[in-house]
Amino acid sequence: MRPASLDTCLLLLGSLWIAHPSRAQEHAFNSKVDVEMGERVFLSECGRCHGPDAKGNDETDAPDLTRGRFKSATTDAGLFQVIRDGIPGTAMIGIGWAPETTVWQIVAYLKSLNVDPGDYVLPGSADRGRDLFYDKGNCIACHMVRGEGGRLGPDLSTVANRRKPEELKADLTHPDETVEPRWWTVKVTRPDGSVVEGLRMNEDTFTVRLMDARENLWHFSKGEVRSIERIETSTMPSAERTLTPGEVDDLVAYLFSLRKESGT
Amino acid sequence: MNSLVLLMALGAQTPSLAPVTWERLLKAADEPSNWLMYSGTLDSQRFSRLDRVNRENVSKLALKWAYQIPQIDRAETVPLVVDGVMFITESPSNVVAVDAGTGRPYWRYDHELPEDLRICCGRNNRGVAILGETLFMSTLDAHLVAIDARSGSLKWNAEVANHKAGYSKTEAPLVVKDMVISGVAGGEYGIRGFLDAYDAETGERVWRLYTIPGPGEPGNDTWAGDSWKTGGAPTWITGSYDPELNLIYWGTGNPGPDWNGEGRKGDNLYSDSALAIDADTGKLAWHFQFTPWDVHDWDAIQIPILADLSLNGEARKAMLWANRNAFYYTLDRKTGEFLVGKPFAKQTWAQGLDERGRPIRAPGKLPTPEGNVVSPPILGGTNWYSPAYSPKTELLYVNAYDGEQKFFLREEEYREGEEYTGGGAENVAPLEKYKSAIRALDPRTGDLRWEFEIQPRSSSGLLASAGDLVFGGTVEGYFFALDAETGRELWHVAVGARVHSAPITYAVGGEQLVTIAAGNVVFTFGLD
Repeated sequence: MRPASLDTCLLLLGSLWIAHPSRAQEHAFNSKVDVEMGERVFLSECGRCHGPDAKGNDETDAPDLTRGRFKSATTDAGLFQVIRDGIPGTAMIGIGWAPETTVWQIVAYLKSLNVDPGDYVLPGSADRGRDLFYDKGNCIACHMVRGEGGRLGPDLSTVANRRKPEELKADLTHPDETVEPRWWTVKVTRPDGSVVEGLRMNEDTFTVRLMDARENLWHFSKGEVRSIERIETSTMPSAERTLTPGEVDDLVAYLFSLRKESGT
Repeated sequence: MNSLVLLMALGAQTPSLAPVTWERLLKAADEPSNWLMYSGTLDSQRFSRLDRVNRENVSKLALKWAYQIPQIDRAETVPLVVDGVMFITESPSNVVAVDAGTGRPYWRYDHELPEDLRICCGRNNRGVAILGETLFMSTLDAHLVAIDARSGSLKWNAEVANHKAGYSKTEAPLVVKDMVISGVAGGEYGIRGFLDAYDAETGERVWRLYTIPGPGEPGNDTWAGDSWKTGGAPTWITGSYDPELNLIYWGTGNPGPDWNGEGRKGDNLYSDSALAIDADTGKLAWHFQFTPWDVHDWDAIQIPILADLSLNGEARKAMLWANRNAFYYTLDRKTGEFLVGKPFAKQTWAQGLDERGRPIRAPGKLPTPEGNVVSPPILGGTNWYSPAYSPKTELLYVNAYDGEQKFFLREEEYREGEEYTGGGAENVAPLEKYKSAIRALDPRTGDLRWEFEIQPRSSSGLLASAGDLVFGGTVEGYFFALDAETGRELWHVAVGARVHSAPITYAVGGEQLVTIAAGNVVFTFGLD
């Protein structure tokens, strides 16, 4: 049982934070217990649409909440409002019937899914990693960082917001393990036997679009080509073959420095 | 008044919207220029006798009009068309009447909703029913409303259940005689499901059949302890009716909590079942349970398709049912006897069906705290997406998915009005890795006749027509027509957003039109 005065106090504080988003990061429900409570309520109330792993759901079109970016909120206070009130005109309904403490605990849980750089002490050097990225590793040939670089791999400008260091290391050393369909390769054989091969930018029941090695964009109707072959491995070579273990650590340290700058 | 009559006469048209009597509904197949109920006809075949659009000319279909629903939700509406007027339901619980030839509105009804709704899966509404000059619509606050079809005025508003206890209503009701048959959603909130009949004129309840038997009733002992009180078994998709047998057929949803069955040991009757119900009394005539003690959320929320088949030389009044649990079933709809059953989509949870159609469970396929990969996924081998049956080809057309998911188990206490699911499931690979297809099944054997592969998948209902066509859509935003005999693609058009509804066809001024909702837009296509 909670004293009534505490409830009133929490209510007032909640209102204050909504009115002053700049103080939103300071809410009081960030303890481990709060995060656990938030996860429990999330699984029960939100998991049906957003998935028990919060990674979204194709059937309901509920977005992935693990990427550190939310479509309808940029602050904790904004998240609180969305969870409490929902988003009018959409399938996102609020849980306004729940105590405000519970709503803050869900906020705390969602924030806990983000990668916090303070949690990691990395063995590598980000400076050395940056040199590798641009020189020996030549990663820049395929990957763009802040508007500079190639287009044949994912844009890495904010990769640290969505990948943990151990995941980045696995991406570098075992690139074939988890390849998003966007980075599969498609080989299209045209009626005259000529072949166009490139990265699978998009595919549906009737068409496919790809980018070839020269970064040309192609569109094909499936009914008008001879065959389409899908290659689900990565086009990136494993860093185990091209870099030393120490260099891999350096590259991970650099990649883990690539995050959304606060306020942007 | 005289001038109004004169104006109508000068309009060189017959007035729209004649009253829809029960006799018209009984013979809905005979007036294919209209679409008079959710599944087209009482047997729910979703087959139209219109053949002006056919295999030879379907490639010439072009946009006639589009209606934008002023909500950014994904439309699940299946409109009705009555003598040139179309009734479109909108998220969350609204309805608009438009001219079926142009899409231009007559009126709209906006249902006022409370802010504390309990809805598991979106602010959905799938359509209205009509009798006489009255429309009947489910609302998200678990009410059933009657609306004047000419003006949009509210005639009556009946509270079916308390929404604060987790009930909601999304399905299109079914009119049987002078009654409105209507079910409830809430299988993720620990409700006790039921199916109701309401007097169409007054809104008074005629009967209620609980889908979970109470103490002392047969089947209550299939629920451990008090678990029957919160056992779910909702009724959130429209059923069918056989006038000769006077039986209503309705599917029931999952037992609750969805993924944790430890506290509800037993078969959990009548969850995940086909129910046959005496239309006059609301008494259960028979039941067939597809998935006893379900722990994967495989609702038997599919449309019961009624068709008369010759099976092993014997004429059978059959019911065709491709279930979310990935098995296809043919049942005798007079008795509930199991006739045919075999998988139509990938499944790993059962070793097969026994001679009575009961699944033989495979070991090691239950949800666990760590997660256990099982096929089909939560979405099922199919789901609520309307199938179709063509008496011309004698094939059942079903939207099928060969997916898998990792199912989790977790402890959960029941608290009224809060979600009560006991677990969940997550993807183990991109959806692009799995196969999705429109499949044509022979209901005599369950055998696959053809399939049309979809990339990545479809959540669309289907429509079959005498033009030897099957219409459907895809999640990436296509609407298409297939050859009903071969599955060959004959036409497609990009509609820009997911098709999460089912197509209908009808005619205005002799021109056959085809309508589908995609995203939050209702598109209508024609040849001329």
